Amino acid sequence: MSHSKPDTVSAVLARGRLGIPSVVFFVIAAAAPLTVVAGGATTGYAVTGVTGIPVSYLLVAAVLALFAVGYVAMSRRIVNAGAFYTYVARGLGRPAGVGAAMVALVAYNAMQIGLYGGAGAVTAQFLNDRYGWQLTWWACALAVWAVVAVLGVARIDLNGRVLAVVLVAECVVALTFDAIMVTHPADGTVSFDTLAPSHVFAAGIGAALVTAITGFVGFEGTVVFSEETKDPRRTIARATYIAVAVTGLLYGLSAWAMSVATGPDRIVEAARADGTDLIFNLVSPYLADSVITVARVLFITSLFAALLSFHHTVARYLFALGRERVLPAVFGRTSRRTGAPKVGSLVQSGLAFAVLVGYALAGADPIVHLFFWITVTGGLGVLILMTVTSAAVIGFFARITHAEGSWRSRIAPGIATVALGGILTVTLREFATLLGVEPDSPLRWAFPAAYAAAALAGIAWALVLRTTNPDVYAAVGLGADSDTGPLRAPDAVRQPA
Amino acid sequence: MNTTPPGGDYAPHLHEHRAPVEPARPVRAVASAAAAPMRLADEFFYLAHDDQSGRSRLFESATAHGLAAALLAELCWERRITFEGRHVRVTDPSPPKDWLQHLVLDRLVAEPRHTATRTWLAFLATTAYEQVADRMWQRGMLRQQQVGRLRRRIIYIPTDMNTAAWSWARLSYQLRNYQRLNAFDVALAGLALHTQLDPILLDGAPLAARAFLREQVEQAPVPLRDLLADLGAVVGGAVLSHRTT
Repeated sequence: MSHSKPDTVSAVLARGRLGIPSVVFFVIAAAAPLTVVAGGATTGYAVTGVTGIPVSYLLVAAVLALFAVGYVAMSRRIVNAGAFYTYVARGLGRPAGVGAAMVALVAYNAMQIGLYGGAGAVTAQFLNDRYGWQLTWWACALAVWAVVAVLGVARIDLNGRVLAVVLVAECVVALTFDAIMVTHPADGTVSFDTLAPSHVFAAGIGAALVTAITGFVGFEGTVVFSEETKDPRRTIARATYIAVAVTGLLYGLSAWAMSVATGPDRIVEAARADGTDLIFNLVSPYLADSVITVARVLFITSLFAALLSFHHTVARYLFALGRERVLPAVFGRTSRRTGAPKVGSLVQSGLAFAVLVGYALAGADPIVHLFFWITVTGGLGVLILMTVTSAAVIGFFARITHAEGSWRSRIAPGIATVALGGILTVTLREFATLLGVEPDSPLRWAFPAAYAAAALAGIAWALVLRTTNPDVYAAVGLGADSDTGPLRAPDAVRQPA
Repeated sequence: MNTTPPGGDYAPHLHEHRAPVEPARPVRAVASAAAAPMRLADEFFYLAHDDQSGRSRLFESATAHGLAAALLAELCWERRITFEGRHVRVTDPSPPKDWLQHLVLDRLVAEPRHTATRTWLAFLATTAYEQVADRMWQRGMLRQQQVGRLRRRIIYIPTDMNTAAWSWARLSYQLRNYQRLNAFDVALAGLALHTQLDPILLDGAPLAARAFLREQVEQAPVPLRDLLADLGAVVGGAVLSHRTT
């Protein structure tokens, strides 16, 4: 066929497609850098008592980059917004796929709801310090919740330009703080102790590693945009690597800089005393008040961006599963006026509300018991998903004929599976350390057990569907395409020659 | 009256609400179904907008893709194209009388390298709203009104409420009374169902009416069903990949 004439169809459809920067901004916004630096890393030090947090961030970034190799290669062949479970369904079979979908629902809900603890506590404290308003954390959390719930049903997210501005500001703040902390070391000497690889073999490293993974959750969202990028083959891959590299270096650097400013031996103590204020307290002697205020506001906005992003993620997962009829079809309905996945959004908001009210009534600590416990539990779920997805990539490429080299189809996913599986094993073994509870506490098993239950329920449900409703079973993993089946490759628009 | 045979007259009791002026289009002998005096995209446009204020009843991307599918369905109705699985095929490149149908067919003929129905839905969706509104405006079915700050945005308001509400009233009545739909209405109901516009037809109707709608749409000819499946997937995809711009 002749390609000499201009291809007007492709040209029109290419308008408004996303480039690498947009995709990077979207996914790093979900990872919320300032939230991780000011909230995740400090609370990680405080709760786990492990000083190897900085090296954990770097190690996890390396493992995730390896994971991304096969993940991105697979994304070129499968277009579906419910990434993880679709991949698992296609690589390891539909029962495993539905199991993964249930794990993903628990994990992303945990990420989102846990963040309310951080948002509530940090906002309440900010309003108290700044304006002297005596608000409880849960009042602030519920206020944020209301905004997220409304924006969720209205299908409004933060647009690319706003995210870009906020994100760049967050990075500038974090790097400025890092520079100040590193140039003002505790004992007058800059210590690299917390970056020592020996920490990888120290006790409690599992807790540190899963804390680190929690900080990266959101980067996997790059593949969701694959259908809307200018060049699906390159944009997604590069955006994913850039996102992992940028966040990994930023987290590692910031966590290390904090340990330099307090001294490596006192970082845990300082984090326990100051909590999420630690980073601000460390730099405040050297910066104007207004800068600190801006930084605190950015901390809150970064929490908010992450909350909204994960809310939409959960609503979309529910929508995709509803379209496939794996969940009741009502989840596949949208709001007529706004096109929001209405039911999914409302259910997510309802669940978050119930948990917030529960925590408020129980008088639990918003930072430790909600923000840290629940988000690292979400991180554990995403770790499980990534381990299984990595194995699914190998399974997928073994089943199809393809032209990918063995590095992308076997070796990198293989190493990633082993590495992620190793992290998962030590994490489960040290879950008590992670939660900061006694080793014989039933809580250490309760959180992981929730995932086992979700996975088993998903697998059982898939097997029920296989016998009672083969049509639905056949459509597992197709999401919005469940009526048509996947359309891939032969079309010139998505696969430019 | 209990049932309307396919290709038969529309519910006669509703005739008093019908437009005073019959849309002017020569009635052509089309082999299988009724010689519909209406165009699918025009009727879908009416369905997707409030008959009085012209306000949208449906989110933007669903309206755009629904109109795109309606334009393709018009060409299918005119026997110029057909749908085979996930692809469009031009069966007769001779120009249709309607300028918009002509325009769309021309593009299909000019771009043989693109055959995926989805690609065409996405492509046509970028312009379908303006084009269909323009066609309806030229035929006096809509009038333009400038609104918004600095009056920069143009909205289209039906010139005659009764004409605008007619498809909605007819479909709603027939579905609630479990009357079989003719071929034109099956296509229109199918577009509504796959853009998730069906709640406005069946607001407050029992679940059985919803099931009846599905059943009617499932009896559509295979090419139309193929088109509708792609429409559903594209609208679902638009929900999943939405971003505020």
